[in-house]
Amino acid sequence: MNVQIAVDVGGTFTDLVLQESSGQIRTYKAPTTPGRIVDGILNGVELIADDFGLDRRELLRKCTRFACGTTAATNAILEKTYATTGLICTEGFRDILTVREGGKADTYTIAIDYPEPYIARHLTHGVRERMNSEGGVETPLDESQAIEAISQLRALGVESIAVCLLWSIANPSHEIRIGQLIEKHWPGIPFSLSHQTSPTLREYRRTSATAIDASLKPLVSRTVNELEARLRDAGLEGVLTLMASSGGQTAVDEVIARPINLCLSGPSAAPVSARTSIKAENEETCNAIVVDMGGTSFDISIIDDWQIPMHREGIIDGHVFGVASVEVKTIGAGGGSIARVDSGGFIHVGPESAKSVPGPACYSRGGTRPTVTDANLVRGFLDAGNFAGGTMTLDLAKARAAISEHVAESLDLSTEEAASLIGLSVEQNMVAAIDEITIKRGVDPREYVMVAGGAAAGLHAVPIARELGIKRIFVPPVAGVLSAFGILVSDIKSTFSRSVPLSTNAFDFAKANEALATLVGEAEAYLDRMKAPAGSREIQFSAEARYRGQVWQISLPFDMRRFESQADLQRLVEAFHQLHEKLYFVRSSDPVEFTEWTVVAIGKLPSADLKYGGAPSLPVAEKTRRSVYMRELGGSREIRVVDGTQLAPGTVVQGPALIDQPLTTIVLYPSTKATYSANGGVWIDLH
Amino acid sequence: MGSESLLQELSPPEVGIDIFTMVVLRRRFEAIIGEMINALFKSGRSGVLNTAMDFSCSLTDANFQSISLAQGLPVHVGAIDLIPRAVVDKFGTDIHPGDCFVNNSGYLGNTHCADFTVCAPVFVDDSIAFYVIARAHLGDMGFPTPTTYGPRSRDVYEEGLILPCVRIQKGYKDVPEVIDICRANIRVPDQFYGDYLAVLSAVRTGESRLKSLCGKYGADVVRTFVDEFQNYAERMARTAISNLPKGRLSKEMLYDSETELYPTGIPIRATIEVDPDEELITVDLTGNVDNLPLGINMTESTTTAACMTAVLNVLGADVPRCTGSFRRVKLVLREGAAIGKPKFPAATSAATTNLCHALIPHIQSMFADLRGDLGTAYGTIGMPGSCAVVSGNDPRGDRPFVNQLIMGYWGGPAMSGHDGWLTYGSGASQGILWQSSVEVVEQQQPIIIEKLEVRCDSAGAGQWEGAPGAECVIRPRSGAVRFMVNSASRDHPPQGVAGGTSAAPMQIARLDRDGQRSELPISVDAVIDVGEKLVSEGCGGGGFGDPLDRDADRVLQSVLAGRVSEERAKSIYGVVLVGDGAHRKLDYTATRECRAGMRRGASA
Repeated sequence: MNVQIAVDVGGTFTDLVLQESSGQIRTYKAPTTPGRIVDGILNGVELIADDFGLDRRELLRKCTRFACGTTAATNAILEKTYATTGLICTEGFRDILTVREGGKADTYTIAIDYPEPYIARHLTHGVRERMNSEGGVETPLDESQAIEAISQLRALGVESIAVCLLWSIANPSHEIRIGQLIEKHWPGIPFSLSHQTSPTLREYRRTSATAIDASLKPLVSRTVNELEARLRDAGLEGVLTLMASSGGQTAVDEVIARPINLCLSGPSAAPVSARTSIKAENEETCNAIVVDMGGTSFDISIIDDWQIPMHREGIIDGHVFGVASVEVKTIGAGGGSIARVDSGGFIHVGPESAKSVPGPACYSRGGTRPTVTDANLVRGFLDAGNFAGGTMTLDLAKARAAISEHVAESLDLSTEEAASLIGLSVEQNMVAAIDEITIKRGVDPREYVMVAGGAAAGLHAVPIARELGIKRIFVPPVAGVLSAFGILVSDIKSTFSRSVPLSTNAFDFAKANEALATLVGEAEAYLDRMKAPAGSREIQFSAEARYRGQVWQISLPFDMRRFESQADLQRLVEAFHQLHEKLYFVRSSDPVEFTEWTVVAIGKLPSADLKYGGAPSLPVAEKTRRSVYMRELGGSREIRVVDGTQLAPGTVVQGPALIDQPLTTIVLYPSTKATYSANGGVWIDLH
Repeated sequence: MGSESLLQELSPPEVGIDIFTMVVLRRRFEAIIGEMINALFKSGRSGVLNTAMDFSCSLTDANFQSISLAQGLPVHVGAIDLIPRAVVDKFGTDIHPGDCFVNNSGYLGNTHCADFTVCAPVFVDDSIAFYVIARAHLGDMGFPTPTTYGPRSRDVYEEGLILPCVRIQKGYKDVPEVIDICRANIRVPDQFYGDYLAVLSAVRTGESRLKSLCGKYGADVVRTFVDEFQNYAERMARTAISNLPKGRLSKEMLYDSETELYPTGIPIRATIEVDPDEELITVDLTGNVDNLPLGINMTESTTTAACMTAVLNVLGADVPRCTGSFRRVKLVLREGAAIGKPKFPAATSAATTNLCHALIPHIQSMFADLRGDLGTAYGTIGMPGSCAVVSGNDPRGDRPFVNQLIMGYWGGPAMSGHDGWLTYGSGASQGILWQSSVEVVEQQQPIIIEKLEVRCDSAGAGQWEGAPGAECVIRPRSGAVRFMVNSASRDHPPQGVAGGTSAAPMQIARLDRDGQRSELPISVDAVIDVGEKLVSEGCGGGGFGDPLDRDADRVLQSVLAGRVSEERAKSIYGVVLVGDGAHRKLDYTATRECRAGMRRGASA
């Protein structure tokens, strides 16, 4: 027997998914060990080994592939524990990271502090040099000044260097030269050059990406090398891969060279997970809004006709990381979100969170302010005696007191009504976040399925879907370990770009074809390094395009390796018109400009016939009845509670009902119907 | 406010709208405006539009009540109701589905002539339920010279194309004559038409979404929600005002003059009266000077928006910006005053910037006199040279260009507890504008930006420091480029309050081929040749509180960040540093002694 293992290290739990050679999937959860994440991973492996009656070394010997998602990069940025990094930029532009791109999240909030730059100004050195927008040299590089900058950064004790010069995307020679000078004058110091890290227009985005990349190099190489060493030590002989922001896996060496690709390591797997789960249901189409709801955050991603949209506007803690990543929108909304009523009598839920300490009032850890979890308990959606897989007992009286004091009394509502209002409000925040991502993508949610994963998914999925006009919800069998399963089933993937500005006015076919050929060459070389079999390879193309005069590009996918004729170009242009029209309702007769060309290299996993469930046993098993408060039922009613672990395929549960699953409860409102699939997934139809 | 009366207001018996519906509909309206903005943002053409976000989308109900203004430029949306009012005043019952009206007249409720404002009625059940409005600052609006602001214009006839609230679409189709007139007057007709389509796409998106909303929830429910939301906003404003101290204050400041009428500066006067018992704030501007023979006269729209912005800034971010909260602010304006309502044919093309930039912090600063932790210092007044409207011919492609740059529009005011926000600009936008990317600017215009960095010692000092201005150097690449700027803040830079100091003056200069510097006037219209450079030195924002009370470590950080020189750290802040360059550290003992000495000197 051979096995494959995927791991997603979260803040609280380390999720593991195992695939046997038969295609059987098994899921596990182990507590995360903060500061020593490899311990948590190995504990999880131990758990699996116990399940199979093997010792850990035996299990790892049988493991042909170990795929890992890690928040190491994300946490380093959030907690500002990244390396002290120096920045070398074009003289006269030392404040790029401070200025960012202007704008402010809320127009009317003026009593706030301006955010600090990712790299402090005193660690930033300008060097005399200048390219123009066509790549011509306006001012030659002053090498002595560059050497001086390197030596000053050394004296300041930086641990890594980022280099980003204006227009290095049009002519990288000065950046390359500075890279050589760093190697010569300070051999061994890690550094990143912007034209390699993120070859994209706009100096802030490129500088930010390069700064983040350089700052992560020491830490990522340390943690990833440790991970590999300890896994090898424990007996792993198979391939070790890491989940990248692109929604695909890549090799350890690639991650160490470009750690910025780890920025969205875990969340980027969620849509991949959803897509595979939907495919396993034998669905013919896949248009989905994927939501992952936990205790503190709510992540949203999209699947559009089996495709997972990518973007370059990913942000962590206010810093743009710039490289192509799966578009995931995150808001601070979850079980811990706190509810309050303002002086005008309006309710607000979040963004303030009780987190896990002091936590919701019902956790009895000292929290006194009402949270979403308190509201769900008061409404009867949660079982006080059996929370988080039975690991915790909740205090209903404390939840009622908090809601009553802070919400119900000031609005003159009953405690149950107030709990409903808290639920509705947080659901509206979630709806607004989904609106934002779907509007931006030109997606009409009514034509999409909602895939719900995470511990809080089942509690809020139906009202959110109803508000958005979504008619079907799918809770996959792997909902509790959504991202880990995505890591297991994601392909090998990496993205390669060049900034080659071309216009339909005077389209230079040779230049375009040369750029595409170079990129395809890089892609093939990558797939060679990844040892991807020839038959598994796929190359995807896209261009960043806009009408002349516009400054924001949109990503335009196309399927030509070369542009042979005017007709090929016309096909590309027509595709742009259609995309623009879909997104913004209008098309124009202006020339189309292409700023950047991108090739995605994919090595597809061998297809496997995955088997999800264990052997299902019983027809509808009614556990008990519970009193819940639903406005749709006109108040408090006893409704039935079904044991979700015991349902046979094809079983239909009519709402109103609660389906208890080990890690979540699915709340079926009236006029909904849940159907169990052969894989153990739950399809909820809304009428 | 007791919960009993509150509930009654939230749930009027005749319609029965409850707080659950309130929560849902509030989100829906925000989403609709978000969709309008997104439609406009990504498909606009001119740089100022699709990089700087110098546009706004809004909506009102049939009674001209605005709903959510949270997402627009303060100066754009603070009096948005004037736009549909102008449509109804002019067209009465002759308003039909598929109509769309365009207005750029400061006499018909618009902000200033460069703001191209379109408004479409939304019909539900054969009657108007809403108006949707999109306003965008275009790169060119047919001004006599290639700019969009004319601070030196003497009357409206020197301000170019006027669109006095006319129908631009009928039955969802363009009125070709109006488009033709626009195209014939605007220097970049294709760019204009692209921008028009973007603005139109915003209002049509809003129209279709509002119709669906009324279909889903019922027009009566939605209408009631709008009324109830105003009541809620008014309650929020009332509570905020009731917590302010009672008082009446008058204050005058001087604004950089370009008219012989006021050789030392144009006075700006305001009186505020805060009445916490009545829960009302009155702003009286009637004491201001008569309309000036300049384009800086404010319009009714910008005067109103400026006052609302300033007062609501003091009331806090939680109070919704809409008709309901505006009911707690009483404005007393005079027709024919430079700050008030313009008297025809006064010029108003710079009504959103110069005096408007001054008026907003002027009102805010008065609250600091009322209570020490309220209000703000003054932020940037007038545009720096790095926000020039540039024009010329681009040899790459041999085509004319005209566009406004938004770079180095910094210099936010300090306030109690917070240093100024760097990319704040003025109170008309308070940080919402995006700053142009240097690379995008150079791709779209044949110019090279040689420098764009914090200007050292430009910010006003204080316990809370103003944000610095920008130092920017621009040169043409291959042909002369015309720069037009409406600056200010030179003779009268942004002031500090509560013991904070003023910011450095704003400067704009020409460097000739030999590097000789010559200052340019406040209103710049200069052709810079190849080999010459334009130097822009932005003022910072004013400081708040006594500089000697500033945390010494923050002073060190400002020095390390290049914002404050070591000399100024010592002479103004009394902070003594040791070491060189990036290795500098605080000398605690010397700092304590220095500060003590300065305090004794001040009290002596």
